[in-house]
Amino acid sequence: MSALTFTLKKSVKYPIDCRLLTPNNLANLSILEIKHLSLFNTKNTPKIGDYFDVSGDDANHIIFKSANHQLDYIGHQMTNGQITIEGDCGDFLGAQMGGGIIICKGNANDRVGDQMRRGLILVDGNAGDYCGSRMIAGTIGVFGDVGNYIGFAMKRGTILLTKTPKLHATLQDCGTHTLPFLALFFASFKGLSTRFNTIKNMRVQRYAGDLACNGNGEILVCHTTISA
Amino acid sequence: MQINGIIIDDTFAEAFNMRGTRVIITAQNLKWAYHAANAMTGFATSVIGCGVEAGIERELSADETPDGRPGISVLMFAMGSKVLMQQLETRMGQCILTCPTAAAFAGIASEDNISLGRHLRYFGDGYQTSKLINGKRYWRIPVMDGEFLVQETTGMVRAIGGGNFLILATSQPEALYAAETAIEAMKKVPNVIMPFPGGVVRSGSKVGSKYPKMFASTNDAFCPTLKGLVDSALTDEIESVMEIVIDGLTFADIAQSIKVGIQAICDLGNESGVKRISAGNYGGKLGPHHFKLHEIMGKAS
Repeated sequence: MSALTFTLKKSVKYPIDCRLLTPNNLANLSILEIKHLSLFNTKNTPKIGDYFDVSGDDANHIIFKSANHQLDYIGHQMTNGQITIEGDCGDFLGAQMGGGIIICKGNANDRVGDQMRRGLILVDGNAGDYCGSRMIAGTIGVFGDVGNYIGFAMKRGTILLTKTPKLHATLQDCGTHTLPFLALFFASFKGLSTRFNTIKNMRVQRYAGDLACNGNGEILVCHTTISA
Repeated sequence: MQINGIIIDDTFAEAFNMRGTRVIITAQNLKWAYHAANAMTGFATSVIGCGVEAGIERELSADETPDGRPGISVLMFAMGSKVLMQQLETRMGQCILTCPTAAAFAGIASEDNISLGRHLRYFGDGYQTSKLINGKRYWRIPVMDGEFLVQETTGMVRAIGGGNFLILATSQPEALYAAETAIEAMKKVPNVIMPFPGGVVRSGSKVGSKYPKMFASTNDAFCPTLKGLVDSALTDEIESVMEIVIDGLTFADIAQSIKVGIQAICDLGNESGVKRISAGNYGGKLGPHHFKLHEIMGKAS
């Protein structure tokens, strides 16, 4: 079985809502059926086949190729499987995610992991504003830079960064710590094709928040220049 | 049957069904892993008075543990699942949570999962957080030395307890030396523990007593000082008897450990002062598992 691959045919000037293209929605569908799915799930709307070349048969691992910042809502409400984005992606990556793994090899736009409850999102590049907003739980990793208002209204969950972000007032510095669970965490990245599997440093700066909203979430900044 | 001049009695050890679990304890180094594991398996020699029988199975190197630190694997057995769950919880709370740098992980997979950190997490008073990593849930509980990491559950399996054999020797030091030799060899067998102090028990018991409230009392037939008083199982030359009790995950594990232990003693030879090897049973009516010494040792030769 090879990964179900969506290759963007042409660069578009408007956003495409990709929320249908998750392992949950595409399990047991043939390529022909997938190509005829309507992008917005209503009549007279463009079909998947109008925008993407579709190949492969393993819906449990979905790959987006030639992806760009117009692809919104990738991995929306997914609960299992893996999505790999070879390129950039748009807003709301992994929004309301309930499980599974998303790896974005390029940059992600705003609202990565909005209201996500479970699962793992790893962005090798940068993420936009409101990364991890309204996060309920789960894990987001961003290797590059993040925009403003990271972790806005997050309740629980972990955001793993490699650089100190711009923090709003309701995120509190809890100091630098060597956290034992990171050993398990980093070990679980080993099988994944991501820049995060190079991290060995278990020493992190811990920011807790969002205190305006429960405050059991955390932003862990793991400076990759420091060795373990 | 004789091996190297030592008589092996034509008898069997009688063993019972138990519930068992395995927990992996890790810490900053082996020293602290041992502190945690020794505390957790302390006062756990016999279900009669301790609730559980527990012991250290073996050391684990850093590359064998989930978090890459040195560790100890602990086996714990009880007569029923309820007692096992309750004892595991209290021992986790008092011995592992409290031990500096210690962390605890599931050591056995099963369909029956029992709480390792599921209830312990409330110690975090709302500051505890969980992480789901590769489908397994872990709890991070803030404590004064940093963070206590504990897996939510561990597996509970059907197991066997009460496998045993008796070492009959011409003096107490000789009996003990033979027992120590057997224990050293048996420690290398996986999936078993010898729960008594140093692995050896000197107060083997029989069922019942002359006192109505006691349901077990000294095994007078094997007490050397009662040779002239009771229907003794000992010959004139025997002055001391030591027993080794084994709990294990399967019948085969216990049989293997009995075989290794008896063989180690027989390798010492008749000159060691050990004259006979026997086993404890209750006539075969109480325990469903019978470890027949001749069958077990027959496989050895």
